Amino acid sequence: MASSPLKKFSGAARPSFKKRHSIQGSKKALYWMSLPALSLYVFLFLMPVLNNLRYALTKWDGIEEPEFVGLDNFKKLATDDDLATKVLGNNIEFMFWVVIFQTGFALLFATYLVKNTRTTLFFRTLFFFPTILSSVSVAMIWLFLYDPNYGAINTTFKKIGLDSFALNWLGSENSALYAIIFVQVWFHTGQMMVIYIAGLQQIPAELYEAANVDGASRWQQFKSVTWPMALPTSAVVVAYTTIQSFRAFDLVYATTQGGPNNETSILTTMIFQTAFNEFRFGYAASQSIIMVIMIFLITGLQKRILRTRY
Amino acid sequence: MKTKGTNSFSARRIGAVAAIAFALVATLLPSAFAAGEAFGKACTVEGASTGTSNTSLVCKAGSNGKLTWQRVRLASAYGAPAPALRAPKGSIEFHHWRGAEDGATFDKIIALFEARNPGAKIKQVVMPSGDYTNLGYSKIRTNNKAAVFATFRGSQFVQFAKGDMMTDLTAERFTRQNVIANGLIPGQYEGKQLGIPLHYLFNNPVYNTEIFAKEKWELPKNFTGLLNWCKAAKAAGYTPLAWSGGFRPNAGQMLNSMLMNSAPNYATLEKRIEDIDTGKADLQTAWFKDMAGRYKQMADAKCFPDNATGVTDAAAINLFATGKSPVIPTGSFQMGAIKTVNPAMTGKMQLFSLITTDEKPQYVGIQNNTFILSVNKNASTTDQKIARAFISFMLTGEIASIYANGTSQHVNVLDATYTNQDLINTSVWQSKKTLLAPRFLWLNQGVRDLMEDALIAIVGGKPIDATLEDYSKQIKQKLS
Repeated sequence: MASSPLKKFSGAARPSFKKRHSIQGSKKALYWMSLPALSLYVFLFLMPVLNNLRYALTKWDGIEEPEFVGLDNFKKLATDDDLATKVLGNNIEFMFWVVIFQTGFALLFATYLVKNTRTTLFFRTLFFFPTILSSVSVAMIWLFLYDPNYGAINTTFKKIGLDSFALNWLGSENSALYAIIFVQVWFHTGQMMVIYIAGLQQIPAELYEAANVDGASRWQQFKSVTWPMALPTSAVVVAYTTIQSFRAFDLVYATTQGGPNNETSILTTMIFQTAFNEFRFGYAASQSIIMVIMIFLITGLQKRILRTRY
Repeated sequence: MKTKGTNSFSARRIGAVAAIAFALVATLLPSAFAAGEAFGKACTVEGASTGTSNTSLVCKAGSNGKLTWQRVRLASAYGAPAPALRAPKGSIEFHHWRGAEDGATFDKIIALFEARNPGAKIKQVVMPSGDYTNLGYSKIRTNNKAAVFATFRGSQFVQFAKGDMMTDLTAERFTRQNVIANGLIPGQYEGKQLGIPLHYLFNNPVYNTEIFAKEKWELPKNFTGLLNWCKAAKAAGYTPLAWSGGFRPNAGQMLNSMLMNSAPNYATLEKRIEDIDTGKADLQTAWFKDMAGRYKQMADAKCFPDNATGVTDAAAINLFATGKSPVIPTGSFQMGAIKTVNPAMTGKMQLFSLITTDEKPQYVGIQNNTFILSVNKNASTTDQKIARAFISFMLTGEIASIYANGTSQHVNVLDATYTNQDLINTSVWQSKKTLLAPRFLWLNQGVRDLMEDALIAIVGGKPIDATLEDYSKQIKQKLS
C-alpha cells in the first residue's frame, strides 16, 4: 500500500487548506495593492475621457451649465465647418510628410551609424542633440532662422545669388506648413534614429555574412536583410511618428499660432483655440474625439500595411 | 477754559485752512501756468487735461458752450487719495503676464509691501501673455492662493466676471479716491467695480524722434500725408512701419488707430463692432471694407516691411530699436522691450498719430486702461484682505510712481510722478483727445482673431473682396 511517487507528488502539489487560504489572502492583497494605481487611472484618465465624451454632446462655455445638444457638434463638424475640414487636411498632410521623411532619414542614419565606433557615436550624439531641446526653444531658433528679411536662411540664399529661394517661409500660405514640417523632422529624426539603431543591432550578424558570401550588394543587403528584419521597429517608429505629428501642438503654436490663414493649424491647435480662446468647450471635446478616431484609424491602417506586405 | 478752548480750536482751524489754501495755490498755480493753461482760460480740445494729479485742469464746455480749463474731480469721489490698507499675516500669489516687463519692479514693490506689512507674503506667478489669455482663467479658478490677479481689458475680464471670480471693489476708498474715474470703466461689470485698471497706456504707434529730426520729416497729419510719408521713408531706405504681421496679437494693435476715426462717433463705432462680434453684420459691410481698403493702400505705399506677414514680434522690435524702422505701430507698452534691445533709445521715443482720414480727425490717439487688478472671490478671507491691501498699496502715488518709472508705463493712479524720460516725453498725450482702444470691444476672441487674420492677409497681397468673403464665412460658421 505504499503510495506511488506520482500520488505523492500530486499530493505535495496540492497545498494544504491553510496554505490555500494564505494564497487566496495574498491574491486579495495583490488586488488591494493595485488599488492606488487603479484609482489614479480612473480619476486621472478614465473619468476625464468619459467626461470628454459627455461634454462632446453639449454646448458649454466652461463657465455656465452645459446644455445638451445631442450629436449637433459632430453634425456641425462634418457639414458646416470649413476650418475643421481644412485643419484636418493640414494635419494629414503634415503627418504624411513627417512620417515619410522622419522615418526615412532615421532609418538611413541608423543604417550608417549602427556600428559602435567613435565616429558613429559622435554623429549619433549630433543627430540626437535637437531632441533634448524644448520645443519652444526649437521654435524660437527657427523663427530667427526663417525670418524673411534678416534670417540666416534667406541671407545665405541672397549671398550666393539664389534670391528666388529666399521665401517668406512662415508668412506665406504656400510655404508655412512645409517649413514647420522641416523643423519637426529635424527635431525628432535623432530620436527615431536611436530606436532604429537599437532594432538594427538585434539583427544577427550571420545574416549579413551569408549575404556577403552570396555576393549581395549593399542595397541588396538592405532590401533583403535590413528592411524585413527592421519591420517590427519600423512599425513602432511609424506609429510613434504618426501620433507625434498629431500632437505637434507646441511647435506649431510657438512658431505660427496656426497662421497664416490657418494654413499651419493642426487638430491640436484648433482644439486649443476652440476651447481656451473661444470658450467652446463642448465643441472642442467633439473635435478631440474626432482626432482620437483619426489616430486610431491611421495607425491601424499603417499596422495593417506593414503586416500584410511583409 | 471752554471759551479759551473754542478760541484756540478756531485759531487752529483758521490756521489749517490758511495752510491748505496756501498749499493749494502754491501747487495749483505753477503747475497750471507752467503748462500754459490756467483755470477759466479758453482751451481748444474738449476732454484734454493738464495731467492726472488731484489738482489737474480739464478742458470742458461751460453752460455757454465755450471750452475753458476747469477744475474737475478726476477720481470718482472727493477727498485726497486714501493711504494703503494694512495687510494681515499670510501668504498669497499674484498672477499676471508681465514678467519680462514688470517682474523686477514688482519684486521691489512686493519687498516694500512685505516690509511695511510684517508677516504678509506675496509670490509673483507669471505666464507669457499668450498663455495667460488662454489658460489664466482655468489656472486661477483652481488656485485659491491666487488671491490677486490681473486681467486684460475686454474678453478676458468679461470671462472672469462671468465666472464670478472677482470681489466687488466698488465701495473701497482706493477705488473712489485714488484712481482716475474714466479709467475705471474697463474694470466694471454689471454695475460693479470688479477690478482696477492699473495701466494708462497708449496703443498708438511709437516713433523715433532722432530719425524724424535727422530726415527732417514732419509728422503726417492725415491719411494722404501718411501714405506720402511711407513712400518717402521707404525711398530713404527705411521700413516705414515695423509691423509684425507674423504675430497677430501685436499686428492687431494697429487696428485701434485704423478704427479711431472710422465712425462719426464712439457709439456708432461700438455698435458696428458689436454687430460683427455677434454676427449681425459681416466683414463685407461697407465701413469694414473701407478700412480694409486703407490697409491695402498702406501696403501699396510700402508702409509695411517686406514679407510683412512673416515678420515676428521680435523682428519688429529689432527693426525699430536698431533704427531700421522709424515707427513701430503697437503702443507705449513696448517701450520697455525696445530699450532692453537698445538702451540708447531712451528719451528718443514719442507717440505717433496714425490718422487714416483726410477730414478733420476726431481723435489723435488711442488710450487704454488695462492690467486690471482684482481680488479672487474664491480666496480665503485673510488672503482676500492681503490682496486688497496689495491693490491699495499699488494705488498710492508713491508706489504707482515706482511702478510707472520702473516699467516705462503710465498709470491710472492719481498723483503718480513720472521721472522716466520716456514717460515725461509722452505724458503730454494724457492731455490729448484720445479714444479708448476700440480693438477690445470685440469680446469674442475667435471672431477678433479671424477679423485680424483677414486684414493681415490683405496686407500680404490677398484681394480684398475674396478675403473678406472667405473670412466672413468662417466667422459665420464659428458663431452658428
